[in-house]
Amino acid sequence: MNLEPIDRFRYRVPRDAARGMRSDVVVYAGEGLLEQIRRDKSLEQAVNVSMLPGIVGPSLAMPDIHQGYGFPIGGVAATDWRTGVVSPGGVGFDINCGVRLLRASVGADEARARLRDLVNQVFRDVPCGTGGEGPIALTVADLEELLVEGSAWAVKQGYGEPADAEFTEARGALAGADPNQVSARAKERGRHQLGTIGSGNHFLEVQYVERVEDEAAARAMGLEPGQVVVLVHCGSRGLGHQVCTDFLARMGAAMKKYGIELPDRQLACVPIQSEEGQSYLAAMRAAANFAWANRQAILHFLRGAFRRIFGQQVQLEVVYDVCHNIAKRERHRMDGREVDVLVHRKGATRAFPPGHPELPEAYRGVGQPVLVPGSMGTASWVLAGAEGSMRETFGSVCHGAGRLMSRTAAKKGRTASEVKKDLEARGIFVRGETKDGILEEVPEAYKNVDEVIEVVAGAGLARKVARLRPMGVIKG
Amino acid sequence: MHQSDPGYEVLEHAADLGFRAHAPTLPELFARAAEALADIAMETEGIEPRQTYWLAAEGESREALLVNWLSEVLYHLDGRQLALRTFHVKEFTGSRIAGEAFGERRDPARQPAKLVVKGVTWHQLRIGQDQRGWFCEVFLDV
Repeated sequence: MNLEPIDRFRYRVPRDAARGMRSDVVVYAGEGLLEQIRRDKSLEQAVNVSMLPGIVGPSLAMPDIHQGYGFPIGGVAATDWRTGVVSPGGVGFDINCGVRLLRASVGADEARARLRDLVNQVFRDVPCGTGGEGPIALTVADLEELLVEGSAWAVKQGYGEPADAEFTEARGALAGADPNQVSARAKERGRHQLGTIGSGNHFLEVQYVERVEDEAAARAMGLEPGQVVVLVHCGSRGLGHQVCTDFLARMGAAMKKYGIELPDRQLACVPIQSEEGQSYLAAMRAAANFAWANRQAILHFLRGAFRRIFGQQVQLEVVYDVCHNIAKRERHRMDGREVDVLVHRKGATRAFPPGHPELPEAYRGVGQPVLVPGSMGTASWVLAGAEGSMRETFGSVCHGAGRLMSRTAAKKGRTASEVKKDLEARGIFVRGETKDGILEEVPEAYKNVDEVIEVVAGAGLARKVARLRPMGVIKG
Repeated sequence: MHQSDPGYEVLEHAADLGFRAHAPTLPELFARAAEALADIAMETEGIEPRQTYWLAAEGESREALLVNWLSEVLYHLDGRQLALRTFHVKEFTGSRIAGEAFGERRDPARQPAKLVVKGVTWHQLRIGQDQRGWFCEVFLDV
């Protein structure tokens, strides 16, 4: 593959029309990360994305990019709202998989003294849901309301406080959701799963602020060194997974109808303005709203767990909630003109800069909080969106450290109890629900999150605000 | 790649998980693939064949049929909360499959989850023939 360096943080695969590419691919990476990226098929997948009809600007690869299915994970692509396509594979099965950061009115020392009790309490109160039934049973009528209202529905039912939704991307609900476009099967899969984390790479982490890099931004976000925070990583559970499955099945015939041919069937796409495209977007938005209601309900159960351990006075407040698997209609500037595009973020986070009208008042001066979880043994980062993201990446950055090792490789030569012991020696207490949940997510299975952050900060896409260290981990 | 169960092999993938199943005929291959999916999602060891469930799927190609069939199985595991262990394919044409699944209502204490499977992907999907008969390779989003 012809990969040209642009500068220290950027590489380009130039458009090759003979291969069917409709745009360049731009990869954000340093030398070390690039070497890791080249070991799997993620760059080939980023090239395939550049073949999407109606793509605007380059197919973008973030520094945490790794091989996905269809789209690479860590990929961003914008398509023209009038003439372009929407790809369910560019959103993924876990629609609105995302991250919510909470700040606690507890210090690291106080939490460390009660760490086991706290982790065990959270493990009891916030179910993973891998056994089937979750803590909230919804009627279909409730669910249909929830699919339109998102976080606000959960708050209305007593699962949270009104301020929680204010600090959520899109205020916890995408407009244009239509529950009628969500199949009965998807509703059945989701009806018992509200308030559950799931498994795989989903988790709850009790962390503390290790250091602050941007005091003004940290102040605006209510973060200070030594403070305890909680990171919640999960998505739309079976409801979102089924929406993706349903639409991928419909897309095969639809692609033929619209004369679209692509090298990977998982990239299945249809014109945004087609009936199938509009139906998918209406169902995807409903699933996204389910994910926000899910993270909202989890916050409610977390508050209960914290109060049982630290007393009724303890506060858990939302710093921010971002989605990293989504397609959103946004306006951006491209070559000096305004463009109306659908931004696919597949394992990528929105990172709007200071002054953007979509940000809550409290963050207008500093930029949108960007939450980047690392692996369970290392660190996570809070960043703030910067101007560079609007110039280059349709307001997007990375979403994590990025996987390096397959699940099978991660398990080789290790036992879960050894991993738990190693982490405990580093002050990290872990509880896992499934047999392999902890093993598959060992820290060595991921890239170095600090290297990933150096690239997005160095490229001017986001600014570093705070580095977080884990203390307690709950895995699905 | 390593042998994790006599019925299928696990295939490595950076983020997700795949499997390769073998069988002498295509209908049997689809049954073995369904069993592999169930075994990846939950502990299948103690599942009793108390009930018979009828599953069917359609698809415009052999590959589409496999993805839709496995998605049907996944819906029964995750949506209907069934514990399924063995499958017998009764009808098989190029575009339609139907068959029986044997199992019971899932009891999470007896059949704990191994992995939450989100979906069946088209990524690197292969159906083919080798010296042992038919094989398929399927990657799952987990």
